[in-house]
Amino acid sequence: MSNHFFYLDSSPRATGEGALTGTRIAVQSNISVRDWSTTAGSLALENYTALEDATVVERIRSQGGVIVGSIRTSELGFGLRDDGGEAVLREDQTDALISTDFLGESRITAADAGVFGFKPTYGVVSRFGLIGLIPSMESYGVASASPRTIAALMDGISGPDKRDFSMSDRSKPDFLLKEGKTPGVVKAGVPAEAMAILTDEERQVYREGLNKLSACGVAVSEVSLPEFELFSLVHNVVGSVEASSSAGKYDGVRYGHRAQGTKNWNDMYLKSRGEAFGTLVKSYLFQGAYFQFENYEIFEKAGRIRARLVKGMNDLLDKVDVLVLPSKRMPFEARRAETVADVYNAFSLTLPANVAGLPVLQVPGFIMNGTQDLGMQLIGPAFGDAGLLGLADHLSQCKGANE
Amino acid sequence: MMDYEAVIGLEIHVELNCPTKMFCDCPNRPGDEPNKNTCPICLWLPGAIPQFGYEALEKATLACLALNCEIQEKSAFDQKVYYYPDLPKGFQLSQAHYPLARNGWLNITGEDGQPRRLRIHHIHMEEDVAKLIHEMEGKTPVSLVDFNRAGAPLIEIVTEPDMRSPHDAMEFVRLLRTQIRYAGSSECSLESGTMRVDANISIRPKGTGQMNTKVEVKNMNSIRHVGDAVAYEIERQKTCLAEGEEMTMHTRLWDPVKKVTTAMRGKFAGPCVPDPSVPPIVISREWLEDKISSLPEMPAGKAERFREQFGLTEDETSQLCTDKDTADYFEQVMAFPVPARTATHWLTTQLMPLLRERGETLAVCGVTPSRFADLLGFLDRNEVNANSAKEILARLFETDLPVKAVVDQGGFGQVSDASELEGIVARILEGNAPAVADYHNGVSKALGFLIGQAMQASGGKANPKIVRELLLKRLSAI
Repeated sequence: MSNHFFYLDSSPRATGEGALTGTRIAVQSNISVRDWSTTAGSLALENYTALEDATVVERIRSQGGVIVGSIRTSELGFGLRDDGGEAVLREDQTDALISTDFLGESRITAADAGVFGFKPTYGVVSRFGLIGLIPSMESYGVASASPRTIAALMDGISGPDKRDFSMSDRSKPDFLLKEGKTPGVVKAGVPAEAMAILTDEERQVYREGLNKLSACGVAVSEVSLPEFELFSLVHNVVGSVEASSSAGKYDGVRYGHRAQGTKNWNDMYLKSRGEAFGTLVKSYLFQGAYFQFENYEIFEKAGRIRARLVKGMNDLLDKVDVLVLPSKRMPFEARRAETVADVYNAFSLTLPANVAGLPVLQVPGFIMNGTQDLGMQLIGPAFGDAGLLGLADHLSQCKGANE
Repeated sequence: MMDYEAVIGLEIHVELNCPTKMFCDCPNRPGDEPNKNTCPICLWLPGAIPQFGYEALEKATLACLALNCEIQEKSAFDQKVYYYPDLPKGFQLSQAHYPLARNGWLNITGEDGQPRRLRIHHIHMEEDVAKLIHEMEGKTPVSLVDFNRAGAPLIEIVTEPDMRSPHDAMEFVRLLRTQIRYAGSSECSLESGTMRVDANISIRPKGTGQMNTKVEVKNMNSIRHVGDAVAYEIERQKTCLAEGEEMTMHTRLWDPVKKVTTAMRGKFAGPCVPDPSVPPIVISREWLEDKISSLPEMPAGKAERFREQFGLTEDETSQLCTDKDTADYFEQVMAFPVPARTATHWLTTQLMPLLRERGETLAVCGVTPSRFADLLGFLDRNEVNANSAKEILARLFETDLPVKAVVDQGGFGQVSDASELEGIVARILEGNAPAVADYHNGVSKALGFLIGQAMQASGGKANPKIVRELLLKRLSAI
């Protein structure tokens, strides 16, 4: 059973007591736990042991939570190949999983496992200790069968941390607030342009899911989110450029894999990095370096388009309470994605929330293709995190009533 | 041969004297035992996030203000991407697109004695990189990395290509150093590496506005070297041009021993990508006003005030005001009833050389402004003469006794009592008949000789003015 884990703590312990006492939590192996092997699934971090706890780890333990171990992860947390998250959730080896969400990994993991998933607003949770890849879009994601466990965890890990300067100045959302629990009439918008890129079959199951949502008292209407297809392109360009910079530190000088028998430092860099990275990460980094060194204009353009897309999304969220999207595509399997293009196809519906830094909830059991759960995402306005989790609570009960 | 002129611009790195590094809390002491001042952030271990330090912003802002720059309301850090073992993360955090300050200037005195305004294009903040040490381990060459300097706070000052001569470049660097020292942001020492000057040099036919291919010259370890390197490079380029060689953009190293520049590498410019982890810096009007008001009086203003307030000359005030400690010391001395000119003269020609000789500074030496003023008071009242005052000054370094006690104990009191001096003068005239004869025969040196003899006989304590008067009176009577 433990082959989905990368590291199992033989004597897991909390450092304090609180709302998380008795909760088992698994983390991804790109989240720093002191003295644990923390390789982020890459030879580039061969034998690397974290020197400090990530802020989230420290906070979980201080509130009674127990970190049972770290799961196997795709290289540097990019994509979901070889990821052990879905298995440990499905096999109930943990009450909750905290993993990274660069373009939707934590939400698709939750959808695959048929549980709730949540990615908070950018800047609400400290990234200190997260071995990240795409700093402007990455986030932690929390997955659990229980929305209340997610709320308790979010409440425990969020809030200001002087070690992460990119955090928001706003005070943290009150995740335990009960106001969202009986949401009154929630207005949900379905972006027509997202609908348009789906296959007929997908549209069919999507509509059925929306009907279920309506049955739970949510007012569903169609809205327009122009240039929806550009979210993937923007994420691909900006993400690869940021990844190329983030991975620049993996040079084999201070830690990680170093190639033997090299002629000089340049040769050492080339061979060490050449040996350390797998094909997917290598091509992603290569693409980022291309935009950095050879086609910077495209990167700048992507930044401008990003601003436009974010504004479009925020404007829509002034009119409706949430935007609804499936989590997964039927024709593209995230776990089987081998190329950068495969990855972007499989994550095309989850990555808009990363581009815009918005909070998003993944709800199980609504958009179903037979027994296969495609997952349903509800994207909320910036800092509307508490409201989304209140809604999650409501939907979990409503869904139960339906079944 | 065509008449050429040089076009020179400088890129000057100044290490800010903040207590900590720019993005972490490690001590900013690059000289410590190698790799002592490091942490996960400046080693850029996985999971680290840069934490921009407030002190660096403050010191950088003060320096920019001292260089007459416009502080930008919004500035931001970029990643300057290149791969080198001295750079722990594959990029250097630097402000490439939105620098902290723009449009500065300094007024220097040109070679012709006329004031010249040299413009500063912009000033940006950036972090320093680690230091590489290349050694031999037995027969194997090894490269070691010392990360103490990695992440140290720097500003880079980029000038407009307004300089035309080695003189301009040296004067600019000198004045820049004075201004930044006044602001308290850095020691600006080329010798110890807290300031590094790179010069971009090209030449063009005089009077044209051409901007030709420039060559970058590095590794000048003193202001004199800046002048020498620039002068050498101008001549080298003229020779190249005369020989029909085409100029290529590259970097050259100044060799201070051979006094030549040698080609090092092609100039490499990597990409600069906005950094997503360090938030943009937004400066409020109130904060900036506060910095402006905390800036001390700058040397030019101070010199002008000294000229008005104390009636000093331009030469005198420039001697006093180049170094802020000297100027401050002078002002403290002037709180006592001492003539300004005497104070200036004695400070710059006596006290300062003594300090240099002893390797001390005004701030810590035992000759406090009040003791120095006391001494000058004795001199001004003719109670000691200049020679004695020099000796007393030297003794003040060794003792904490009041000046009066040193004067009394050393028997330095000047003899101005005519009756006492009459006797000495009479003896000298008796014992130096040939000199007396010379005097009467019009040999001008004779009087000076007789005064000297009388001074010596008094043990150096006689008031030379009274000795002279007495001698002249007696000689005219002979």
